[in-house]
Amino acid sequence: MNCVELQQSLAELEDSGSVEQLAHLRACPACSALVRDLNQIAAAASRLQAANEPSPRVWNSIEAVLLEEGLIRPQRASRWLIPSFGTRWGAARWLVPMAAMLLLALGISLRRELQPAQLGQQASVAISAANPMDLNDDDLRQEIADSAPEVKTQYEENLRQVNDSIRDAQGVVDETPNDEDARRSLMDAYQQKAMLFELAMDRSAE
Amino acid sequence: MVSKRAAKLVTIGVIVAGTLVAESKREYHFSVGPKAGVSVMNPYGSISVKPSLNNTVVVNAILHSDKVEVDNSQNGNRVDIQSHLLAGADADSGRVDYEVLVPADASVTLHSSTGSLRAEKLHGDVSLEGAGAAVDVRDVSDAHVHVKTMNGAVNLDNIQNGHVEVDSLSGDVTLRSVTGPLVQVVSTSGRINYFGDFGNSGEYRLTSHSGDIEATIPEWTSADVSARSVRGEVHDDIPLQPKNHTWFPVNKGRAFAGTMGRVAVSSTVVLRTFSGKIHLRKRSEKQ
Repeated sequence: MNCVELQQSLAELEDSGSVEQLAHLRACPACSALVRDLNQIAAAASRLQAANEPSPRVWNSIEAVLLEEGLIRPQRASRWLIPSFGTRWGAARWLVPMAAMLLLALGISLRRELQPAQLGQQASVAISAANPMDLNDDDLRQEIADSAPEVKTQYEENLRQVNDSIRDAQGVVDETPNDEDARRSLMDAYQQKAMLFELAMDRSAE
Repeated sequence: MVSKRAAKLVTIGVIVAGTLVAESKREYHFSVGPKAGVSVMNPYGSISVKPSLNNTVVVNAILHSDKVEVDNSQNGNRVDIQSHLLAGADADSGRVDYEVLVPADASVTLHSSTGSLRAEKLHGDVSLEGAGAAVDVRDVSDAHVHVKTMNGAVNLDNIQNGHVEVDSLSGDVTLRSVTGPLVQVVSTSGRINYFGDFGNSGEYRLTSHSGDIEATIPEWTSADVSARSVRGEVHDDIPLQPKNHTWFPVNKGRAFAGTMGRVAVSSTVVLRTFSGKIHLRKRSEKQ
């Protein structure tokens, strides 16, 4: 079970959570923190006055929308992983899980829609941070122009290799923008290129 | 016939004498306090740093011609040494070889484009940088060790409790008994070899683009290992307990992830390459 499946299953938990759910929560700090937060929200909600409770029609409308969207299924007699949800507050017990589900559904939906573009943007920001001077190969060649031929050959060869590595890493990022590993490889490749420029500049300064 | 032979001998003698005259030795002494900073910038030639017996910095420099000078300065607890190339100096005539003794707790910065860089038996921070410099660091503890090279080979041996960062474009990197909270190697095409046990609770990140990565570890190592080659192969000689969660797809032959040994003291090990091979190898008794 992954994080998305766990979050989607929060409203349909049997008993105090299935083996899969509990195993995921033990292994995943983010989801266990989420459940902990929801428990805190539930605890805070239980302190609200009954007078603040909206009419049942509001809950019915929310439930109808969620059912229509397929975000929940018709409720069975069930108990919540977050214990206070199922016991304390009559009809108002829907308040917190509904709000949480709405937020989760919105969050998951936005995450799905925005992730590739957003992550691409993050990668490009990271790259521009690692690459503040807009590394230009001709600048490096100029830096080593007065060096011995064998030194120039070494720099040219390393420049070619690092450019290959950037191209390869960029290809993987383009194919799988959600691959954090690939983004890190791309950043490493740019940092290696920046280091090559730094070494060339050090040499020419000598 | 005899006169020709005598002429040859005289010529050889003149050349040898000229070389001896051109090569000169300098020695400098500086008194410093605890945790001094020592920097040596040397375009051409080697630098070797060892611990001194007291709070002094001793610099022995061999200058290979009169086209290079040694500039030195002390500012408080900091000593700066720099080879100063004069007009017409090149990689041969501008060469200076340094042997430097520093207090063991000194922070050391070494820079050379072509010569070898060597530091040993220190427990202050060590930073070494050079395009073609071969780097050798050994017997360093409780310190940051930062290395940057283009194509020089890097050897780190017996670095304990280190914060180690190595960046190498095409030089091979070999780590033996290197442990600490952070051990990170990034290489473009160089090969990365690790021999050791990954310590306790550190983060070990060995990354290359096309260079192979090989980690040779004892069977009793405790580590949480993730390995991935995007286009290359991975091999694992040591059985790992599979992990439930990875941040990448574990395609057989291209990646593996799992834990070994005692989880409570395990280090995190990330081995990653684009087109190189990764091999997690069990250490034999001979190694």
